[in-house]
Amino acid sequence: MILTIAHNVIFPISVIVKRGWIRMVRRYANMFPLVVMPLFFLIAFAGSFSGLGRLEGFGTDNVIDWMLPWAALQGCAFAGIGTGAFTAEDLEGGFYDRLFLAPITRPVLLAGLLAFAGARSLIPLTLVSIVAKFLGASYPTGVAGVGMLYIAGVSIAFIMALLSLALVYHFKVQRILALGQIVIFVALFLSIGQAPIRFMQGWLPYVARVNPFTNIIRFARQGLIGDITWADTWPGLLAISGLVLSFGFFALRNLFRYNR
Amino acid sequence: MTARQTLAQAEELSRRSIIALFRQPQSWIPGFFFPILLALVYTSQFSGATNLPGFELTDSFLNFLLPASLLQGISFGATIGASDLAVDIEQGFFDRLLVSPANRLVILLGRMAGTMTWATIQCCSLTLIFIALGVRIHGGSLAFFTILLVGVLLSLFLGSFAMGLALATGSEEVVQSLFPLIFAFLFLSSAFFPTEAMTGWYRQLAELNPITYIIDPLRRMVLSDFNWGDAGQAISVVLLLATLGIAFSLYRLRKKLAKT
Repeated sequence: MILTIAHNVIFPISVIVKRGWIRMVRRYANMFPLVVMPLFFLIAFAGSFSGLGRLEGFGTDNVIDWMLPWAALQGCAFAGIGTGAFTAEDLEGGFYDRLFLAPITRPVLLAGLLAFAGARSLIPLTLVSIVAKFLGASYPTGVAGVGMLYIAGVSIAFIMALLSLALVYHFKVQRILALGQIVIFVALFLSIGQAPIRFMQGWLPYVARVNPFTNIIRFARQGLIGDITWADTWPGLLAISGLVLSFGFFALRNLFRYNR
Repeated sequence: MTARQTLAQAEELSRRSIIALFRQPQSWIPGFFFPILLALVYTSQFSGATNLPGFELTDSFLNFLLPASLLQGISFGATIGASDLAVDIEQGFFDRLLVSPANRLVILLGRMAGTMTWATIQCCSLTLIFIALGVRIHGGSLAFFTILLVGVLLSLFLGSFAMGLALATGSEEVVQSLFPLIFAFLFLSSAFFPTEAMTGWYRQLAELNPITYIIDPLRRMVLSDFNWGDAGQAISVVLLLATLGIAFSLYRLRKKLAKT
């Protein structure tokens, strides 16, 4: 039983991750959104809005602590979308047709791509965490806070990978991923990414409150600006589960419909 | 070749550039959508920050953001002409133009004229949208025309620099990779937050950024009265940048022609 699972599930997943990783390293321009963009977001937003820490009730007086998860999660979102881009290239180049002839089930194929997205997301998470430390991040809860950030980051990579794959399997062109980028850009900007809800005025607080990414960012940020509490944890877990299940359903459905 | 013929050629090539742009809405829609979205989100998020240093002239964050939003939108559109030039080079149309009896300088000037025309359209449309959202330009029509002139010259700088890159590399991908750099330059300035409210080395960097020397006087004209000194400062800095951009693109054109 264990040997069968190892042969039919774990081995194909590890091969998919390994192939993707080699491809990513050999075409290092693809690493730009994973490496440069999140660091730029961290430095630009923490620098530009450094004065916000002086305002009473902002949540922290160290803006680096506030912007750290925002920048890292953006990088993780790019990691997920990048997985969709690799898949679109495979579809356009005909590699997927050959893959379907291989002895691998479609859910395992999807799981392999998700594992690759998760592995890619470790790059921005680690890089941003280290650079933020040098820039003055305080990490008040230590490893536990970083752990929460990693869980949220890998989850965002899964969510964006599933959304991108659902789009790519349906439209079969790489260009459609621009839609995925717009979705994540808008969703993250309309959340508590840059400022807490109590700071917002007008229409934005209402949108931010119902935006599931608000709960995920709060989940990721709690251990970086204060204590980790169940009240900030369960809404994040609920949002992650809901988005993974919804986008996972569409990705799997479109994958099963592909070429049938 | 008479000046009249040269002018007619420039007009035709400029028209071609504009038509190509209109037929690719995916290229120009972000130039309208993102500046408005960012301005609305930031206004909602950071209106409470207007009691920080640097906001003495206004308590409206939307008014504060107007010059930055206009220049951001124009920056989005400025490189489209260069991307099209790179495509022309990739697909061989540029070589066909070279063997036609067209003035070679006009090939570049036509694109630049197209870029400036688009910047004018974009600046006027975005200003109207912002006025509809409640923005008031306190410096009146003189301030608006100064912003328009600066916006057009900025598009000339970015467009001509990007065209130089297109001529040097012949790659659309390289031209498009300029965009994150432009975005970074905008954020590393006083575009979205006053330098007085920033801290540390980031503030020093933002104070050295030429974009700060363009944005700050334009902002004073929007928030207060029109001032010839401010207009002179913004125009002279952007004129210097545009001259450098044009010199770079002409140098690359000469090199390209020498090769062919």
